[in-house]
Amino acid sequence: MRILVVEDDTNLNRQLQEALTEAGYAVDVAFDGEEGHFLGDTEPYDAVVLDIGLPQMDGLSVLEAWRREGRAMPVLLLTARDRWSDKVQGIDAGADDYVAKPFHMEEILARLRALVRRAAGHASNEITAGPVRLDVRAGKVTVDGKSIKMTSHEFRLLSYLMHHKGKVISRTELTEHLYDQDFDRDSNTIEVFVGRLRKKLPEECIQTVRGLGYQIDDD
Amino acid sequence: MRQGSIALRLFWFSLCWLIVALAFTAFLLTNLYSSALDNTLRETLEFHLETLVGVSLSSTDDAFPASSLADPRFSRPASGWYWEIRDMDGNITSFSPSLIGTILPKVGGMFDADNVRTDVQKDGFGTQIRMIERKITLSDRTILITVTGNLDEMFDLVDNFRGQTLTVLGAMGAMLAIMSGLVARFALRPIGRLRRAVEQVREGETAQVEGIYPREIAPLADEVNELLRSNTQIIERARSQVGNLAHGLKTPLAVLRNEATGGGAGLSGVVLSETDKMAGLVSTYLDRARLAARTAVVGRRSNVGEVMDRLVRVMGKLHRETNLRLESGTGEIWFRGEESDLEEMAGNLLDNACKWASSAVTVTLVAPVSAADRTLTILVEDDGPGLSDAEAAEALRRGVRLDEKTPGSGLGLDIVKELVDVYGGTLSLGRSDLGGLKVELALPVARSTAS
Repeated sequence: MRILVVEDDTNLNRQLQEALTEAGYAVDVAFDGEEGHFLGDTEPYDAVVLDIGLPQMDGLSVLEAWRREGRAMPVLLLTARDRWSDKVQGIDAGADDYVAKPFHMEEILARLRALVRRAAGHASNEITAGPVRLDVRAGKVTVDGKSIKMTSHEFRLLSYLMHHKGKVISRTELTEHLYDQDFDRDSNTIEVFVGRLRKKLPEECIQTVRGLGYQIDDD
Repeated sequence: MRQGSIALRLFWFSLCWLIVALAFTAFLLTNLYSSALDNTLRETLEFHLETLVGVSLSSTDDAFPASSLADPRFSRPASGWYWEIRDMDGNITSFSPSLIGTILPKVGGMFDADNVRTDVQKDGFGTQIRMIERKITLSDRTILITVTGNLDEMFDLVDNFRGQTLTVLGAMGAMLAIMSGLVARFALRPIGRLRRAVEQVREGETAQVEGIYPREIAPLADEVNELLRSNTQIIERARSQVGNLAHGLKTPLAVLRNEATGGGAGLSGVVLSETDKMAGLVSTYLDRARLAARTAVVGRRSNVGEVMDRLVRVMGKLHRETNLRLESGTGEIWFRGEESDLEEMAGNLLDNACKWASSAVTVTLVAPVSAADRTLTILVEDDGPGLSDAEAAEALRRGVRLDEKTPGSGLGLDIVKELVDVYGGTLSLGRSDLGGLKVELALPVARSTAS
């Protein structure tokens, strides 16, 4: 899952980046509205954390511009203004959720998880595919109730496929959503990770659709 | 601070003035009439005197016919109209038939240059008479000719006239008094209108004093509007400064808090607990500043249906799993206060209900039942766990949070309660038919007829 953080306060930006990376997301950051708008407009993100008070172009304008241009990724607004009239304005501009500063980092993580999950059409924090169960909140995977150890890259890959189970996901799409923009992208690494995952999960869990990509069956 | 009524003052002032003016007019008219009558009497007597003088001069005979003066009043006994001619020794040579049975009193005073003297006396019957006497020197002798007229007749006429004048002027005075009362009320009507316009501003039905006023009070209406405008500006400015400061502090607080998280009990622990306190203070005093500013802002009203529609739409997006239903009757309901405050109260209640609900939240708008009822009610019900009576009472106590652990998921009732207090509304918690909590928010209604 790839997240964009747009926040002009360098410390807060760094903290968000660290916390999100630690939680298993690929994170891109922007420090002003224009840069944020450009990234959101050109890169495929699974969610965006967007501050309202930004230099060059304020958060609400960025959000409205995205929605006008048909960008539908879930957006979590970050703002010091926490009155309901402010929230209504933000939601009406196209935001999906709203967190008021100062916040606890866990709250941002919880809200983001919910947004990503909802965007993929899942009602619960747990996504299952046959015997495989992915707990988004705890960051754990179990097979028939037994916990499976995974690296963060493996978890990200499985999480993305599970979130979009039933759909064929191309290698390019996986690359775009699993790595931030600074990562040296090589689609071969995807194959390596899929290979490792297959060893840890039941056979046939991850299917290869020749020439198109990978798929986890929707049961 | 009240002083008597202006209308009453105007009325009494014009009434006093009317009484004085009319009394003076009556007095003046009567005097004029009386002196005119007296002049006429004098001229009549002088005319008769001249006639008698003429007759005396042309006659050689002392005695001439009593009918020498055509006026029949000289023939009626005791009429007060008499004449007589006598010589210097007092021998009466001739007199009017009316003098039969009585004698004329003596005319007092000195003769003037024309040998004429006048006097007022009473005749033998007690009638007041005006007397005029002339001394004429003939070739062989000197005679005195006296003519009198009835003064009482004239006084009767004056009395009559005075009576009529007083009746007419009295009636006119009464009419003028009624008129001045009506005029005072009519002239003061714009003040009543202005008062109602200011009342509408206070009631929140209009933001400004509206209407067109006469030159005398239009500046007052303008000044009130200017005062309202500058008041609002000052408040907005103060509010935005406080807001900027408080909001400006929030980002550094967030940074400090996140930096300190997970750093153990030492410095990080202190920073964490202190930043929590600071964040609490910032948000508490930000709310207080908003509330303090709010009480001074008058003349706002907001459409409850629109606000609730918007909130339900937003909540639907934030809490997709909850089935949110808004029930509102027909017709607009207006809240007497700021839209953002209504949004804050209802938003917090709705957000709570959505957080705690298992699946359903119902919002019901209840319009005032009658014209006298000045309260609108917003019911928010959910099918969540609800609160026990003790918990409900606890939740309504100021500054209490029922769930201290989860940030941002407090009941948020504190700010709601303070706002409800500011607007003089009520907030009560109960059990809903849906199974969960029922929150009843009663707020003052603004009349919708005002534009």
